[in-house]
Amino acid sequence: MSRNPAGADRSIATYCYQCVSGPDLLTVRIENGVATEVAPNFTAAEVHPAGGKVCVKAYGLIQKTYNPNRVRSPMKRTNPKKGRNEDPGFVAISWDEALDLVAGALLEARGKGLMDSSGYPRLAVSFGGAGTPTAYMGTFPALLAAWGPVDFGFGSGQGVKCYHSEHLYGEFWHRAFTVCPDTPLCEYLVSFGSNVEASGGVCGVKRNADARARGIKRVQVEPHLSVTGACSTEWIPIKPKTDAAFLYAMLHVMLHEHPRERLDLDFIKHRTSAPYLLGRFGYYMRDPETRKPLIWDALTDSPVPFDTPGAEPVLEAPFLVEKGLEIGADGQEWHHKPERCMSAFEKLVAHVEPYSPHWASKVCGVPVKTIRRVAIDFLEHARIGETIEIEGETLPLRPVCITLGKTVNNGWGGFDCVWARTTIACLVGALEVPGGMLGTTVRLNRPATSRQASVKVGPDGFMDYPMNPTDKEHWISRPEVRNANRTLIPLVANSPWSQALGPTHIAWMMQDNAPDHWPEPTVPDVWIVYRTNPAISFWETEKIEQTIARFPFTVAFAYSRNETNHYADVLLPECTDLESLQLIRIGGTKYFEQYWDKQGFALRQPAVTPHGEARDFTWITTELAKRLGLLAEYNHAIAKGAAGVPLKGEGYDFSLQPDASHSVEEIWDAICRAASAELSGGADNQGLDYYLEHGFRVAPFPKLDWYLYPSIIANELRFELPYQERLYRVGRQLANRLHERGISWWDSQLEEYDPLPIWKDYPGLFERALAENFDIDIDDFPFWLVTARSMQYAWGANVDIQVIKEVADNIAGHGGVVINARRAAELGISAGDRVEVRSPIASTRGFAVLRNGIRPDTLLMIGQFDHWATPVAKNFKVPSMNRLTPMLLDLTDATGSGSDLVKVALRRIGGPQ
Amino acid sequence: MTRWAMVADLDRCVGCQTCTAACKHSNATPPGVQWRKVLDIESGEFPNVLRTFVPVGCMHCADPPCMHVCPSTATGQRSDGIVTIDYDLCIGCAYCAVACPYQARYKVDRPRFAYGSAAMRMDSEAVREDTRRLGVAQKCTFCADRIDSGRARALTPGIDPEATPACVNACIADALHFGDLDDPDSNVSTLLRRHRHFAMHEAVGTGPGFHYLWAKASGNGEQPDDPPDPPRTDAGTVSPGASPWLQRHWDWRAAGNFMCGGAGTGLAAFAAAAALAGTAFMGFGLASLAFIATGLFCVWLEIGRPWRFINVIFNPRTSWMTREALTSGPLFVTGFAAVLFESAVLAVLTALFGLVFLYCQARMVHAAKGIPAWREARVVLLLLVTGVVEGGGLFLAANALDIVDTGIETAAACVVLVLIGLRWWLWFRYLAALKTAAPKGALDAFDGLRLPFVLGGNFMPIVLIAVGLLVDPVAAPGLALGGLAAFAGGWAFKFTLITRAAFNQGFAINRTPARGGGRGGPGIKPGWSMS
Repeated sequence: MSRNPAGADRSIATYCYQCVSGPDLLTVRIENGVATEVAPNFTAAEVHPAGGKVCVKAYGLIQKTYNPNRVRSPMKRTNPKKGRNEDPGFVAISWDEALDLVAGALLEARGKGLMDSSGYPRLAVSFGGAGTPTAYMGTFPALLAAWGPVDFGFGSGQGVKCYHSEHLYGEFWHRAFTVCPDTPLCEYLVSFGSNVEASGGVCGVKRNADARARGIKRVQVEPHLSVTGACSTEWIPIKPKTDAAFLYAMLHVMLHEHPRERLDLDFIKHRTSAPYLLGRFGYYMRDPETRKPLIWDALTDSPVPFDTPGAEPVLEAPFLVEKGLEIGADGQEWHHKPERCMSAFEKLVAHVEPYSPHWASKVCGVPVKTIRRVAIDFLEHARIGETIEIEGETLPLRPVCITLGKTVNNGWGGFDCVWARTTIACLVGALEVPGGMLGTTVRLNRPATSRQASVKVGPDGFMDYPMNPTDKEHWISRPEVRNANRTLIPLVANSPWSQALGPTHIAWMMQDNAPDHWPEPTVPDVWIVYRTNPAISFWETEKIEQTIARFPFTVAFAYSRNETNHYADVLLPECTDLESLQLIRIGGTKYFEQYWDKQGFALRQPAVTPHGEARDFTWITTELAKRLGLLAEYNHAIAKGAAGVPLKGEGYDFSLQPDASHSVEEIWDAICRAASAELSGGADNQGLDYYLEHGFRVAPFPKLDWYLYPSIIANELRFELPYQERLYRVGRQLANRLHERGISWWDSQLEEYDPLPIWKDYPGLFERALAENFDIDIDDFPFWLVTARSMQYAWGANVDIQVIKEVADNIAGHGGVVINARRAAELGISAGDRVEVRSPIASTRGFAVLRNGIRPDTLLMIGQFDHWATPVAKNFKVPSMNRLTPMLLDLTDATGSGSDLVKVALRRIGGPQ
Repeated sequence: MTRWAMVADLDRCVGCQTCTAACKHSNATPPGVQWRKVLDIESGEFPNVLRTFVPVGCMHCADPPCMHVCPSTATGQRSDGIVTIDYDLCIGCAYCAVACPYQARYKVDRPRFAYGSAAMRMDSEAVREDTRRLGVAQKCTFCADRIDSGRARALTPGIDPEATPACVNACIADALHFGDLDDPDSNVSTLLRRHRHFAMHEAVGTGPGFHYLWAKASGNGEQPDDPPDPPRTDAGTVSPGASPWLQRHWDWRAAGNFMCGGAGTGLAAFAAAAALAGTAFMGFGLASLAFIATGLFCVWLEIGRPWRFINVIFNPRTSWMTREALTSGPLFVTGFAAVLFESAVLAVLTALFGLVFLYCQARMVHAAKGIPAWREARVVLLLLVTGVVEGGGLFLAANALDIVDTGIETAAACVVLVLIGLRWWLWFRYLAALKTAAPKGALDAFDGLRLPFVLGGNFMPIVLIAVGLLVDPVAAPGLALGGLAAFAGGWAFKFTLITRAAFNQGFAINRTPARGGGRGGPGIKPGWSMS
């Protein structure tokens, strides 16, 4: 791996997983034992979709390593009082003392029982977003698995700053925890606020640049002209939170303004629920004998079960079913004798009839002709009827896609958007086929390593889904964790990711007041935080701080001091990216644009000696396991794959001796051997030395597996669209369960379980919620405040890295509040002026950044800053919308998500400084 | 032959700054120094707004003004087109920095560290600290070391990563390309053939080795005969780092050289005339030499490596700064000799050298192609005339106040009167030329000069001197005040010219790129008036 272009001592291969769009591969140049330079790993150029390159964040890793502001040794708090203005009085202690302190607190909690009086886990753990911490925390997941129940529900942005609706409904409909265009083949892409050029990682940037060079037309629909909007063919400035109206109008144009032949009728008939007949109560009309949904067969001119061989479904006709059965919530059944039915397709057509471009134009602030043109362009680019050969298989080619960004995807309206865009994909047959709309990964279904393997035959011709139970017998009436994810959110399933995808703000909200008929709120006995800073990254941050201050024992893995670990009792400095050892999976398909034709493993290896007393995460974990008396369980969890790779497989077993404490190198050597064996079908067993030398190892990944369509065909399944009969039933059942317990505070969320979502004036919903909860005149808050990611900072946990700030400042908006230039002039605000932005709950200050690429009714604050404790960042004087955004049940949707959106007032408070 | 060049595909660039960061890594540049960076330029008015990301840095021009002005020959050009800096020769005068129309040059006088003071210096900074770069000019080298070491191993720059500039290697969008323009089959030649492209600030005439692709050569609905350089507009928006900003390389110390040098040489001219008329040269001669010496001392204070000052004479071939320095030698020799020997001939010779010195100064300003207000050709005559006016004004004042009695004050007053009128006229001509040739910031700065210069420095002196000439009882105060006002006006102009109107060129694009299947848009020149 060594090279010597200009006197470099040596070059170390490692990986970067700063953001969810990784991992990517890189090299670090070492001079005289000091890391000096990050560079692409060109030995991976043929393997990695972006040619072995890494994005700007990785170039912060050198400073991250040598940052003089790092926490150098374990520390303990000496001031028992916790508050922003309280000096924690951290003093350096030895690792032994630190580990004893942490283990002591954990053992004390464990001694009282794993669950507290309210039935919540005594141990709570919070990680940063999108699973990236897992790529840096070594074997820590194994310790958590060994421990038992853990509350992961105190989020740090999950649910409100993710692609929440897409995560849940995407997994449900097409195994798409995240959704991506088939960028290399896509020709027309409508992107509603999806900021792929900022958050799509190097693969996203490379694939989209290639697509532009090929001539893709991307229409960016968003209130401000983002980096992605800049790189698009067209920018359409839309009023915030009205994206669903635009999408509904697209549906209207496709279904009411164009002949049916323009649609992919074959796909609609055979791969969706569109031909299923509906009963009068909104459930599928079923065959009373087989209890299967009925379709109308053109060949026999009669209703037949949906899976009748050779049947030719009819989408539109007067349907008269002689005998039928509807199955509603909680097993309620209705037997129908001659009954006039509509097909799901007809219901859809009727449903979108009112949503014309004229209607949408008034809602969205987008010209009628623009909406209509986009819909028509979409249709025209769909290439219906064309096919393409992928690895010897002929698949449909539908090079059109719609993507959704955060906020569009979160909170009220998110379901509407996700449903509408997936339905549109179905109408043109562009779902999970080449050129069209693809899922990238699964996080709720199992196995997590294969979308294809997660396709299991479920009810009514659709994929199975691990829905949380809502029936009377199995409903989890008592929340297992403080955000009640499995109790309230059937779709969130029960995977290791499910808690973080529950209504994470509910865990914070309910610390103050439990709603009616709900367990008493309790604080966790021990709270562990890693690579997250909820005191900055969640909403209503001052309230979050007050809650954190009440936690009795907080352990923070601490890179540097920050706003959350200000409240910690123990700080543990872990080795960072260039100092520690870990093997992770690479390749296959992953969010957002990571589509490889390889899969395998990459090693993060110590390139330099650790800073101060920092220790490898695996070492810290093993020491804790030893002190907790959980070594056997811990080693067992590692063997089961809790550290990323099961140690035992067909023909190999590298399991570690259960009761022993193993060194970091021993553990990762075993994992490396298992990885080699897994990759080679048991033929190879190269260990740590191999990966230290080569950095990574891969095997082919079939490109055919980028698409779910072949698995759908193979299993004779349909996508569960457009009609949401299953969710409708689940919603009714959940309503029954909650009402049986006297709970009515979730009723508005239950309304979202529509079989076909109805537009609900989402901007108005926001305004009413704010007006009613805070007793304000909403007209006093004329601006919508939104946020956006930047590539320099997104997920990077790097606000205290000087070079990142330096280069980020080359991009407009990082320095303050972005305002429409003309609107600013009307308000007497000039570039650089100090302005105050006030929401109904708080105010913040910053410098005015004047741009024309933003709607006059919208303000933008990029990223999440507003730091007051984090070194470097606390001097930025850059505001964040997090302080201004309230956590409200009224603004929480049925998936437990909320939108990064608030209405604010703006005023000038001074000139430039 | 080889001509290394960079090509940036504006359709591909996403402004991620990975190249910026990679360059900082590879070249170990300190905080605030970005040899490569990407601008974020907005154009148009809501809702028809475009946003373009534009990589910039040293353009390695075919005809680099930075090299021509460099007095020490520290800036050079290799046969392959790469513009180089010899840190051991550079005196840190920053003349190259103001001569560069691309704002590509930096000068760091003291060590800078990412986290503050030297006490916070990181190991990674310590191990790569290069004190040779302190106090001297620095800029992008096209990673010449990588190119050279790569070529030595038969690698191809732009193709083989180990022979390719770090920014190109790092570019995650494959927007940056590097290669040999003289090779018609090279990657960059092929790209230029297949795309429509422009170079930045082509009108400045430096022949930049950095080309921007904005559309495919055919397709995208564009006509092949579209004008390559459409009208530019300024939408008045904020594009960080793109609009011209006030250069900080030359401050009051540099201004002091032009102020003192002009007044000193002007004074020497009048002193020589007086010497011819029989007045001793000593007083005015020493005063003029003192002015010139003070100006040069100011410059010495400004340069980053003052003890290398002698290197200033290394480039008489092209550098007006060298020529100014070389002229100062005979100027001082003849000046002191004229004083010592009370020789009118030597005094005249001194005045002639002084005028050459003044001409060199004026040409120095004009040669700074990075500052539009300086490079305007009409500045040369204006600076020449104002220098003489300033000296003349001092001469008049000294006569009127009876410090010296030369007996030629009336003739001198007439000459000064005419010269002030000429200066005023030249000023308006200069301003008229700047209207479309300077950024708004420069024009605004000159707007602020109306009162002190136009009124106080020209109109008022003309009135006062004329009154002094015509109305005997007020002759002394009229000539004294008029002379001082003419002198002060000249200094106000030059101080403004160097420190307040010295807005650099900024950045501009001839076209916004065709994104994907879209069309390219009009270019933009932020911070400039509509033209």
